[in-house]
Amino acid sequence: MSLSVNHMSFSFGDVQVLKDISFEVSPGELMGVMGPNGSGKTTLLRCVTKFLPSEDGMVLVGSKPLNGLTPAEMAKTFAVVPQSSATDFPFTVHDIVMMGRIPHIGSRLSGESKKDIYVVHQAMERTNTVQFAKRIFSELSGGEKQRVIIARAIAQKPKVLLLDEPTAYLDISGQIEIMDLLKKLNREEGITTIAVLHDVNLAARYCDRIALLNQGRLEAIGTPKEVLNPETIQSVYGVDVSVRRDPLTQAIYIMPHSAATAIHKHGTRVHLLCGGGAGGIVMKSLHDGGYSVTAGVLNVLDSDYENAKDMHIQVVAEAPFAPISPENHAENLKLIDESIAVVVSPFPVGPGNLRNLEAATYALKSGKKVILLRPQEGQSVDFVDGRADALVKGLIISGATVVGDVEELLSQLATRRG
Amino acid sequence: MVVLIGTEKPKEEGHSPTDVRSKRLLIICALGALLVLTAFVAILVGTLGPIGPGIPEKISFSEAVNAIFTDSEYHWVFWNVRIPRVLLAGLVGAALACSGTAMQAIFRNSMADPFVIGVSSGAAVGAAIAGLLGLAAIIGVFAPPMFAFVGAVIAAFSVYMLGSVRGKIYVDSLLLSGVAVAAFLGAMVSFLIYFARQQYHQLIFWLLGSLTLASWDVVQILVFPIVAGAVVIFLYGRDLDALLLGEETAHNLGANPEFLKKLMLFVSALMAAAAVAFTGIIGFVGLIIPHISRLIVGSSHRTLVPAATLSGAIFLILADTLARTAVAPTELPVGIITALCGGPFFLYLLRRNSTGRDR
Repeated sequence: MSLSVNHMSFSFGDVQVLKDISFEVSPGELMGVMGPNGSGKTTLLRCVTKFLPSEDGMVLVGSKPLNGLTPAEMAKTFAVVPQSSATDFPFTVHDIVMMGRIPHIGSRLSGESKKDIYVVHQAMERTNTVQFAKRIFSELSGGEKQRVIIARAIAQKPKVLLLDEPTAYLDISGQIEIMDLLKKLNREEGITTIAVLHDVNLAARYCDRIALLNQGRLEAIGTPKEVLNPETIQSVYGVDVSVRRDPLTQAIYIMPHSAATAIHKHGTRVHLLCGGGAGGIVMKSLHDGGYSVTAGVLNVLDSDYENAKDMHIQVVAEAPFAPISPENHAENLKLIDESIAVVVSPFPVGPGNLRNLEAATYALKSGKKVILLRPQEGQSVDFVDGRADALVKGLIISGATVVGDVEELLSQLATRRG
Repeated sequence: MVVLIGTEKPKEEGHSPTDVRSKRLLIICALGALLVLTAFVAILVGTLGPIGPGIPEKISFSEAVNAIFTDSEYHWVFWNVRIPRVLLAGLVGAALACSGTAMQAIFRNSMADPFVIGVSSGAAVGAAIAGLLGLAAIIGVFAPPMFAFVGAVIAAFSVYMLGSVRGKIYVDSLLLSGVAVAAFLGAMVSFLIYFARQQYHQLIFWLLGSLTLASWDVVQILVFPIVAGAVVIFLYGRDLDALLLGEETAHNLGANPEFLKKLMLFVSALMAAAAVAFTGIIGFVGLIIPHISRLIVGSSHRTLVPAATLSGAIFLILADTLARTAVAPTELPVGIITALCGGPFFLYLLRRNSTGRDR
């Protein structure tokens, strides 16, 4: 069933935690709620379930407002899965799942009906927890417990399922297990689901849409691709990220870099010759070291090209899989002229990009400091029958510096600067 | 779903859908039968007298059965001393165990007991004041119980007020207020005992708990509040289950946690106060019986509440029988027996349980 939240606000004393939140969730949708710590995600869920009293917010399920519903009617509308459930008391798993039937057992005088017992059994089958039925709940693992709590939630037969960071305390296999289960229930039973999630990549992979909260406001809402872009994440979380597409699942995934504020930019220009992905770490280290970085020549679609784009680095770009054209080579040399130093990462050298090594030779000749990063032990980057190795050897003989890692590279550059 | 299937263990025995209900019924019937049997045996066991002149003597089982149902010389003793006493033991044991079960659920703490919100220390102050003023001789034999009951209710209410903020109950502060109020009232009792002199022995006897005040009048006064209280707690059993997983979960399962806590505190404090007023402070029953019952029948309150209530009755009848007979014709305070038997058995169960958990 659909859910709509209209103009919901909430304050703890003087602190306004939710500010005029409105959104809709379509029937059968799986929506993620995200946001930094303290942005009001859990409070939003609690206001929806009326565990906390929101100010003048109106919640509709289907087209029916929730005003005036009894606690039992509310519990038939929403089922909630918390971050974790702990009790020192020895409840069996069956006891716990049966709790989901509390709102459905009309009278205090009556016991569980055959139907209740059937629904509980079915819920345990759906969540693969039947084999735990007689075990003590508190002795299960975190993932098993969450499955049992989800079974309880389904036994509640809710119109909307709410989850508050259901994977917060789980290891990676538990996280995937729970999210797969939620997706399955969402798809197969059409349960409208709202899940507060912390992990952007889980959210991006599993949610139909994401609502992003920031300081109690709804910052953005839409598909993962619409919401989880580097600009929005930077403004909400204050972290620089790259957004890529997982080649296996086609879901987008987010890679955080560093908190953007920590970098002291001095703007010294360094040109980077790279390719094949070897340059990513160098770009990042130089960028974090405060250098203004340019790179070339890179083929579009090369992973170093994408790395450079993510970091907003100026690149001399060549068409995909094409050899370096004379124009781009000249452009590359021009960038070298504008830099104080040239860094050569151990990129694979083929006939198409051999010119990048020639560019390094040019740099050394025109008096620039040239620093070579040593390739990993036993890893050849020469795919042009020794011509690349010969050029590298020539560079070293002519006075290029060789460093073993990026730290050494940074200290070399620092001596040059100082 | 590959992950899920991969971790699946071979299924244990099939989970028969009706066994939860039939198991519950079986447990309650078995305990009910055991209670009747225990009560019957307890009525028959023990010394007779001293009533009037003559020395206490023992009679055989068949003579005792005979005396109950025929108009013999002991007929009166059985019907007006022994039977009300066993009934009182059963009622008080049931009240303490049932109230303790509810308190442990409200506090989500298996170390809670009926006295956690100051009921016993309040009752002790009331009883000590009545004793010191010699009210039993002036007003009547029920003056100390009345004072004890009023003291218990005042103490519980003070703890409740101290432990709640703007009408909301916070169990942690309730627990702390209970400890503080109990310590304060305990000091008052010691102070009063210090000045009691003549009534000293009597007060100590009361503080240790005993069922010597038993009579049909007392049974009649107590039977309604205790049975009604137990029924209310039983009817809210499913809500208590939900509350044990936290107030938010209780809310989300359709319970009203604030109302539930207030109702349960009210009912269980009243039950405990009523019991304590007539019998003094019988310790351990309200702590260990719920705990032991939980180890045996599980935590689901629809089963636990009746099981603990019946077990409490059985346990206190047995303990009182021992108190009457162990050093006959002298009588021990039953509180000594409950602590002496209950403590070690409790420890045994805890040990057994914790080693079982070490996997």
